[in-house]
Amino acid sequence: MNLMITGFFCYILGMLTVFVPKRREMWAHYLAQGATILGSLCVFMSAVVYLLTDMSSPQLICVVGNFSLEMDGWNAVFLAITGLGGIITGVYGLGYGIFYQGNRLRILSSLFTTFVFSMVLVALAQDALGFLLAWEIMAVVSFLLVNHEAEKKGVWQIAYQYLVMTHLGTAAIMIAFFVVGSGAQDLQFSSLAMETLDVGTRNIAFLAAFIGFALKAGLVPLHVWLPNAHPAAPSHVSALMSGVMLNMALYGFGRFIFNFLGPVEFWWGLLVFSVALISAFAGALYAQMATDMKRILAYSSVENMGIVFVGMGTGMLLLTTNHQELAMLGFVAAIVHAFNHSIMKTLLFMSAGSIMHGMSGEKNIEKMGGLGKFMPKTALFTLIGAMGLAALPLTSGFVGEWLTFKSLLHLVNAQAGTGFRLLAAFGFVSLGLTAAFALGAFVRFYGIIFLGRPRTNIGEKAQETSGSMLIAMGISSFLVVAMGVFCAPIVELAIKVINKTLVKLPALTNNLIIMPQANTDAGVYAPLALAALFIVLAVILYGLTYKKNLLVKSDVTWNCGTVSTNRQQYSATGFSKPVRRAFGAILKPIRQKSYLQKSHDYFGREVLYKLSLPDRFTDNLYQPMQHWLVKAAAFLRQIQTGSVRLYVGYVMVAMILVLIWGAMYRG
Amino acid sequence: MVDLGQQVIFLLIQLMLLTLVAPLVSGITKKLKAYMQNRLGASIFQGYYDLAKLWQKPTVITAYTSNIFLAAPFIYLLSVLLAAAVLPLGFSVNVVLGDIFVFISLLAIGRFIMTLSSLDAGTSFGGMGGSRELYISALVEPVMLLAVLSAALQPGTTSIAGMHINYTTHYFTISSALSCCAFFAILLAENGCIPVDNPDTHLELTMIHECMTLEYSGRLLAIIHLASMVKGLLIINIFSLLFFPVNLPLLIKIIITAAAIAVVESLNNKMRLFKVRFYMVTAGVLLLLAIVAQ
Repeated sequence: MNLMITGFFCYILGMLTVFVPKRREMWAHYLAQGATILGSLCVFMSAVVYLLTDMSSPQLICVVGNFSLEMDGWNAVFLAITGLGGIITGVYGLGYGIFYQGNRLRILSSLFTTFVFSMVLVALAQDALGFLLAWEIMAVVSFLLVNHEAEKKGVWQIAYQYLVMTHLGTAAIMIAFFVVGSGAQDLQFSSLAMETLDVGTRNIAFLAAFIGFALKAGLVPLHVWLPNAHPAAPSHVSALMSGVMLNMALYGFGRFIFNFLGPVEFWWGLLVFSVALISAFAGALYAQMATDMKRILAYSSVENMGIVFVGMGTGMLLLTTNHQELAMLGFVAAIVHAFNHSIMKTLLFMSAGSIMHGMSGEKNIEKMGGLGKFMPKTALFTLIGAMGLAALPLTSGFVGEWLTFKSLLHLVNAQAGTGFRLLAAFGFVSLGLTAAFALGAFVRFYGIIFLGRPRTNIGEKAQETSGSMLIAMGISSFLVVAMGVFCAPIVELAIKVINKTLVKLPALTNNLIIMPQANTDAGVYAPLALAALFIVLAVILYGLTYKKNLLVKSDVTWNCGTVSTNRQQYSATGFSKPVRRAFGAILKPIRQKSYLQKSHDYFGREVLYKLSLPDRFTDNLYQPMQHWLVKAAAFLRQIQTGSVRLYVGYVMVAMILVLIWGAMYRG
Repeated sequence: MVDLGQQVIFLLIQLMLLTLVAPLVSGITKKLKAYMQNRLGASIFQGYYDLAKLWQKPTVITAYTSNIFLAAPFIYLLSVLLAAAVLPLGFSVNVVLGDIFVFISLLAIGRFIMTLSSLDAGTSFGGMGGSRELYISALVEPVMLLAVLSAALQPGTTSIAGMHINYTTHYFTISSALSCCAFFAILLAENGCIPVDNPDTHLELTMIHECMTLEYSGRLLAIIHLASMVKGLLIINIFSLLFFPVNLPLLIKIIITAAAIAVVESLNNKMRLFKVRFYMVTAGVLLLLAIVAQ
């Protein structure tokens, strides 16, 4: 308890650094980042200590008036994620702040601390009002952070789009809480359970909660703000937003499903499952198409939150079958993947920040290439992160995805019948496509940025980052490998948490754990054994192939007898062309070809190709919606004539209607 | 611990066997193909000769490359060997128990590193091969997982040992026939056989795998060839264990499958790159039917 309170004081100290005089800007920055690191360390430690003990009773942190802060199994996981994310991005921010010197650095640092603190409060709040308050602080602070570089072109529009979207989400969550709380005495979480309420009310509450949290998690089609907002923010902030803030949506959604909404309906599970699968698929597909480095990562977040919610959806579907104990695996998969994704995504956003500053602010991967020679350490760390997000075995990205696949198979184990088989088939196909696209997206991400030859002059002068930024990336890439190889304790911890959270279900039995020590028939992933074998085989292979003069000479690349130039390399757009063409029916790329007038009519004409790939959800869903909204507003304006007499008339009509309604209600 | 040591030895024997047999299987396919085309063809041991020749040749690499380019062949072979270790082949190997998702993902490591290395030389050939490989894999992966689902439906597990086709209940049923055909189609795509890829040509319009490895030579190329052969054998193994319709000894199943590949390769043309999606969709539909019919 004391540890957590200490953390709070650190955060408050960090927030106060905004009052340090401007000429001591860097001091304020270091102080704020240091306070964030310390505070997050406290939060992380206390969450881990709580998770490792028996978790038998909730741990009360403090009570302020009507608001109480408490730690139980479910939110301790998210506190651990927030704490770890805060530590890593805090360390990274120490060095990264230099780029913002003279550019409202004090505000940036103190808002950064506030952002981490608000997420801790979201996880800890134990009543609806406190939760909504913290949620709102989180939303507003992240808006301010996205808007930090408002003088850059297009940033403020993106920030306001984010502000509007996130408030729609908050409104939906508010509705959900009020529906849930309609029958309760107060808005304490403990009194919000609504098992006694009728199905209609619970359906409304579920729908509102799902819309609100899906918007925050960036599930399709509510994701449109995400690929815009995350690239606009400073890199350590985008790392926090993608790595940590999205998971808060999972936290809130889990609260609703596990604690408030009562027995799960089949169509809830179906809705979550389908939306999540489409998100995973669409996110990965767009990630393979984007050329803005941070946009690729943002779309990959959409994909990974999709995978996380596939786990949730599968669990919810399984809860409606006769084998409720199998549902556990879906929820476990969701937690594990959320945790692992948070670290991998933090790592890659940090690398993106380093690359951006090595490339003097360039974010377009078409202009990079060959950076591996100039930034070898960043290249190594990015490779590890990319392998993780491509879900390769022995990295942490694989564990969650593997568990998700396992839980999908339980859909057919739990209930016979064609319906569940087709659901499982839908899941397998979508996640298969997702995995393949994600692999492609990160091959492209790493290959175009770091391999080959520089495509522009800026790339030839790229500089390696140093100091705390490398340390932060090093820590997180170490974690990606370590948690991939030693994944068993994390999975067991997740199982423990789910066991505590879902008390109504029988405890998870051993043959569902599917870890090395378990039943042989379930199919086992034994990363430790695989890693050991990998090392043994690598040594043997090295011994067999070692030859002193293995490389006789190095020469220029074969280019059919001509000297190759760096422009002959595949571009990022060209690299994803086959997929873009094969899935053109979904992506609908807009291709334009025009001939430049000045050139010769028949010979050696200069041709201009243009390719644009707008997000289809923006074009086909939001723009028509906006159009109709404006039309409806114009229509409604007709009754607003400005005449006072007419307004008095409206008031009278409304009054009469209320009276009639009141009379009917009494009768 | 004696037990563990024994198992490790068994595992290494399994890996060595698979590695040593792989060139022979591809040699058999090539020989049969030659017969079908009224040629005498090279010896079935030609694969070994080629590897030995490449092994002795010097290696030339491009000046632009990074360490990824050097490491890629080794990691490719290692990932294939790890996948081979996951495969239960009747040895009493319990050290690394096989799960089909782990198997598929281990092969994905090889794809990841090879497509990366294709971008490393800074030429258009490599990028061409890499982007096509990723396109094919985006089509194969979902269908492959559907095949996994169809095989895992009855046993309800994804351990490869548990998924072995059950000849008492699945002897010539509709669903087993459908999934057998579909997986054979996947096998052809995954191994780079003719309707999808033609490794024998050196024309950039048709190449996929050859494009990616164009810059490799000598010992590194030998390693890549060996890894591809072992990977091909592994997929054939999976086909034989999980989908082969008749109960025969494993070795005979493998040879029959290799012969079937030769027949199909001789009777078909390579299809256009963007027709592969219809080919894979067909396989996917067959598998859906198989899943529903079970």
